[in-house]
Amino acid sequence: MYLATVALSACGGCHSSLLSSGEPLVKLLAENSLSYSYVLADQPNISPADVALVTGCIRNARDREIAVEVGRTSRKVIAVGSCAVYGGIAGARPVEPPDIRGADLPVLGEVEPIDSVMNVELYVPGCPPLPGLVLEALKSIVEGYFPLHFEGTVCSECSRRGGARKVRAWQEHPAGTDGEECLLKEGILCMGPVTRGGCRAACPVVGTACTGCRGPSDMVLSSQLHSLYTDMVRYVSLSTRSREDRTERDIARLLEYLYLFTRSDPFTRARVKEEVSP
Amino acid sequence: METERIQESTEGYTGDRVRIYPVTRIRGRADIEVSFTPNQEVVAARLRGLDFRGFEQLVAGMHAYRVPQVTSRICGSCGSFHQLASCMALEEALGCEVAPGSRAFRELLCWLWLANSHLLAITYLALPDYALPMSDAAVRNISGIYMIEDEAVNRLASAQSAFSEALSLLCAMPVHSPAVVVGGVSSVPGSDDLRKAGEILASCENDLRETMRLVEMLIKRNAEMMYTGTPYRGNYLAMTAGGSPSLLGDRIGVGSFDGEVPGDMEPGELCSSIKVEPVPWSYIAPVTLGEMSLMLVGPLARMNVGYGSDTPWAERECRSCREQWAGPLNREFFAFQGLALEVIWAWEKACMLLEGDSITSGRGFKIPEAGAGEGAALIDSPQGLLLHRATVDSKGMVDDYQVISPLQFSYNLLNEHLSEVALKIVKGIEISDVIAGRLQLAVRAFCPCIPCATH
Repeated sequence: MYLATVALSACGGCHSSLLSSGEPLVKLLAENSLSYSYVLADQPNISPADVALVTGCIRNARDREIAVEVGRTSRKVIAVGSCAVYGGIAGARPVEPPDIRGADLPVLGEVEPIDSVMNVELYVPGCPPLPGLVLEALKSIVEGYFPLHFEGTVCSECSRRGGARKVRAWQEHPAGTDGEECLLKEGILCMGPVTRGGCRAACPVVGTACTGCRGPSDMVLSSQLHSLYTDMVRYVSLSTRSREDRTERDIARLLEYLYLFTRSDPFTRARVKEEVSP
Repeated sequence: METERIQESTEGYTGDRVRIYPVTRIRGRADIEVSFTPNQEVVAARLRGLDFRGFEQLVAGMHAYRVPQVTSRICGSCGSFHQLASCMALEEALGCEVAPGSRAFRELLCWLWLANSHLLAITYLALPDYALPMSDAAVRNISGIYMIEDEAVNRLASAQSAFSEALSLLCAMPVHSPAVVVGGVSSVPGSDDLRKAGEILASCENDLRETMRLVEMLIKRNAEMMYTGTPYRGNYLAMTAGGSPSLLGDRIGVGSFDGEVPGDMEPGELCSSIKVEPVPWSYIAPVTLGEMSLMLVGPLARMNVGYGSDTPWAERECRSCREQWAGPLNREFFAFQGLALEVIWAWEKACMLLEGDSITSGRGFKIPEAGAGEGAALIDSPQGLLLHRATVDSKGMVDDYQVISPLQFSYNLLNEHLSEVALKIVKGIEISDVIAGRLQLAVRAFCPCIPCATH
């Protein structure tokens, strides 16, 4: 098979994650052919590929041009990372580009996930997804089997103890002090209850709040009646024995963090019932 | 390779320009622009960063405690160093002291991150140039090397997996780890995990030894062919502690490629002399330090400073390299050796920390009081000096944020060197794939990290 990797506007973390797979990746590449990849090879020109692994979001005209071409010439596309799947952190807030009149450099536009211009066969969200997940996605298409699908949430993989407890105040700091209790019980807005699992609860197990980089879980995506916000409010209210309107008031200032990685995704945004600042 | 010919006249260039896009096997997206006179003689060549990211704006208005989780996404390779520098700058702004045990754990993570990042760079980015220098572009990559020398590739992959595994064990993720937070680290692993990490590192010693020999052999074999005859000029800078390079040091070692006596300066002195000088043709804004505009940071700078006696293996390898080549290490191919040498340096440092008792398990942070203040943190990341500066208001919200990344320090030197190489090897406006490859090699020698620089 002809494989390809492409990075649009990205930090390179997803490629680092892929490369961290080590020997199995090298073997897979050697058994197949590398069609193009500016990170791995000296063949940067986009040419037909059986599988193209795309990281990064569309942020300027050049990204769009590349994405359209990749979509046109690839049989199957894997979107890797939150930027490719949801637009990612680049879309968390609008930014003003520097004045580059006459510079002939790509000009910033709206942040978009890649499926706005191409058909995507497989989505592997995460910032970045664990190395095993990226390799598994690539292998599943090359070898023709159905890849792992993580239906559960981050909480379902977390070793911390849940249960209900009243929270006096919600804190901005993302780290918890107790080694075994659920971070929500400490007043830390951990997005584990609404975020897709598959990351082995990497953040909460080391004591920091899940930032939702894997995007909404299947439950959140299952119907228009759900959204990251409404589901989070409902869960927090239940686990902190608080009324929903009270919870909404309490966590209002932390709302922005709920959509840190998904704010620019039209699909996720459509489910936002409330206004998210800024 | 895609070359684009432009005849538009801007910034004083009246002739043609050729763009080589993209530069391959580097981190991030960039192109090389070569400018010509109307007589088709080279005027200059420069590397252009093509993606503006806007992280400084992104974090302005956010709560200081949350900022490091965002700044870590500046770069996928050295993101953890951004996260750490961000935490340190904000801790200074909030007047927070980190406990010694947490500081030691942070340092351990730094060494593991550095080794992991360098091993990926050696395997996928640099090795093809040295292992298959004369091969066709279609096979000059990791798969091509694996076909003929799978043992060497497996050794590299196995060493990298060891560091990656140790990182996963200690801080959950090798990339964008969530463990480092404002006030310390979210949790310090127990002694069992630390012991296991020590065993993992011990298991890759032979792989590192063989990798070092491989790199040495490849450099000896290819040095003459790869040298463009344009040694680096200007200065090199590296963070030091007790006179030796250190990622979290307290002085800045400064030396000159002309052989002048090396000196040093306070980090504060360096910070106050930094001037960012944006250019209209690239999203990478170079910096100058007072009168100093040509400087190099990163592995080669640290190698020129020389490693300390506490890491005898790295020091021995470095000394032997200096004795062999005599004088300052000022040629492109030394960067490749620098990467391999620094993996050993990091391995020794990490083993030392894992064997010692400075890392104390348990809760690793203290939440600082939110209050107004200013802070800056200068650290040495895999690619060189990295500065984060923050101003925080009385509610703990970030007012102003600034990042200065390694490539911004080295950018003027890189472009000057690239121009010199282009003047030597580019003959006429038709740039062949081979010549374009040589120009890209000159860029790769600086280990440029574009996402960091275009933050």
